[in-house]
Amino acid sequence: MISNGIWQTIERSAFSSTIASSEWMFPTIETIHVIAIVTVIGAIAMMDMRLLGLASANRTVRALADDTLPVTWTAFALAVVTGLLLFVSKATSYMVNPYFLWKFAFMAAAGINMAVFHRYVAKGMDDWGAPGHAVPLNAKLAGSLSLALWIAIPFCGRVIGFTLGVYYA
Amino acid sequence: MAIGDWLFHLTELLRNTPLVEFSLRVSDWRFALWLQSHFYAIPAFQTLHILAIAVLFASTLMLSLRVLGFNGGDQSLAEAMRRYRPWIWSALLCFVASGIVLLISEPVRNMINAIFWIKMSLLVVAVGFSLAFQRSIRARMATWDASPDGHVSLRIGAVAIVLLWCAVMAGGRWIAYAPV
Repeated sequence: MISNGIWQTIERSAFSSTIASSEWMFPTIETIHVIAIVTVIGAIAMMDMRLLGLASANRTVRALADDTLPVTWTAFALAVVTGLLLFVSKATSYMVNPYFLWKFAFMAAAGINMAVFHRYVAKGMDDWGAPGHAVPLNAKLAGSLSLALWIAIPFCGRVIGFTLGVYYA
Repeated sequence: MAIGDWLFHLTELLRNTPLVEFSLRVSDWRFALWLQSHFYAIPAFQTLHILAIAVLFASTLMLSLRVLGFNGGDQSLAEAMRRYRPWIWSALLCFVASGIVLLISEPVRNMINAIFWIKMSLLVVAVGFSLAFQRSIRARMATWDASPDGHVSLRIGAVAIVLLWCAVMAGGRWIAYAPV
């Protein structure tokens, strides 16, 4: 872990303290963060459940990807920007919080899973779900892993809310 | 801030209702005590609550995007309706059920809270609006894909229902920041 100094510098910057000391800024950014994450989880879950054949089984995987990916990326970008703003306002408290670190480990895992899926597994995706073309097993595994990770991520996020300020460097 | 004063005043009014006694009684329920005394219980039910609204909101969003013509052009509006409608209503059931558990976990903090009741009012409006929106889709979906022009009211409804659910989520987040 990088020394506590850098997080302290970030947290004490004028920009960060503006967010931290305002009565409405943190909750407002948090609200946008929640709406963005809810959208990301819902859209990703639709794609995962299609891979598993649990929903939209009458449509091709490609059709689902075209429907959900733009929504996922737009909402994810919003979640990252708002998440950064929340982070800088309390950087030191987040960096010593194990649930925050777990949340980021799970997000990294979800990102790697998605990258591997699109780079290697998704070859031939255009046929999946078309008559006579089943979804391959490794795609279903990627979908299951994604679902599990995107359940763990909001859980860690919620526990952070109960443990911020409990841990010290 | 004027809105803060108004919310504070609203909460003061709640303090003079039988809700105080009722919420105190609920906090003595065995289930309430169990939720309070197990560290992971409340975050776990909050996660279920978030997952439920994720399914509800994303399904509503996809249906609205289909009405607006941005999404799902490979399926008819009738098919989109068949795909999303059951998920919207079963997710609502899970949303309300997990919400009731969360209400029991912190009865006073929620029931004596102006923002909680604002969220409940928004929820009733959003559910009513969803019913009306879906009825309106069903009335037009047979001819929709042949002539998707016009139908301005349905397009406005598609945007409005997404914003309404955003307002419900905002209410949920602000319960924690109510001026008391």
